[in-house]
Amino acid sequence: MLAPKRVKFRKMFKGRTNGLATRGATVAFGTYGLQALEPGWVTARQIEASRVALTRHIKRGGKVWIRIFPDKPVTKKPAETRMGKGKGSPELWVAVVRPGRVMFEIEGVEQKVAHQALTLAAAKLGVKTKIVAREEAHTE
Amino acid sequence: MATASLSATTRGTAGKGVARKLRAAGQIPAVIYGHGREPQSLALTARELERLLDRVAYTSTVIELAIAGGTTAKTLIREIQRHPFKKQILHVDFQELVAGEKVTVSIPVILVGTATGVREGGGILDQVMHKLEIRVDPAEILNHIDVDVTTLTIGHSIHVGELKLPAGVEVLDDAKATICVCAAPKAAEVTAAPEAGAVAEPELIRKAKADEAEEAK
Repeated sequence: MLAPKRVKFRKMFKGRTNGLATRGATVAFGTYGLQALEPGWVTARQIEASRVALTRHIKRGGKVWIRIFPDKPVTKKPAETRMGKGKGSPELWVAVVRPGRVMFEIEGVEQKVAHQALTLAAAKLGVKTKIVAREEAHTE
Repeated sequence: MATASLSATTRGTAGKGVARKLRAAGQIPAVIYGHGREPQSLALTARELERLLDRVAYTSTVIELAIAGGTTAKTLIREIQRHPFKKQILHVDFQELVAGEKVTVSIPVILVGTATGVREGGGILDQVMHKLEIRVDPAEILNHIDVDVTTLTIGHSIHVGELKLPAGVEVLDDAKATICVCAAPKAAEVTAAPEAGAVAEPELIRKAKADEAEEAK
């Protein structure tokens, strides 16, 4: 699973996810992408599950890009613990996603296969998504 | 050179309130600028623009912009601002072309044919570059560049320097930049079993610095 190798601080505030994705909101590498439609946290486990779903569906053809990285630690207190006594210990890593963020991209497969693969990947995530395509290169 | 036509009206007002009202009324705020002319605020009909963008590659198409009042300008669309996830277009920039003055244009790169490496070897054709930056006279703007990939075998690539372009077209991208590569098929994926326990904690950058400071003392 994806996680940072080195960090400055072990724990982080929850924060608030406001606004829209102003960067990373277009398909930049592949032909099709999976775009978030609502704000949320995508865990490293969800990213890994989506990646496995994508690569298994397209088998050996095509290429996949993951454009989010889980760099935010989430802490949890142990079960049946009284409140207080400080913040819990880091348990998982999440990527903060804003609406518009293209999270996965795919290239080298037909449109139908790409759509099926991205639909499978979307089912593993905790945010609403839609499939987007690169701006077509039109010819007259 | 591909051309298309579009009509626009002038507007004397500017600002986000005005722009929002325009969008609500089915129009799109736009601006036209160019060498030797003052920037002018415009308004376009959203449906007309969307239909145009469905037909043409806007980065390399010369748009004949008929501005209300009887003037016509040959322009290039320089920027289209869109909503991050809705299909809505927020704003359009037009640059007026001046005859004889070269312009920098992004031309779509289109791969033609099926690579030998893909057809026979089961390779993957990876298009690294989707647009090529060129400097050209406005009268000679290319609509797109076709790159024939039929002879491409596994492990080989096509670079910018290998492209055959018409005379008068100056390529601004690096000649060594890769346009596409035919990669070998990937080996069967080996997926590691998910880790059952807690995630291993990463190294602390801050702590290492503190240790170094103590050592220095």
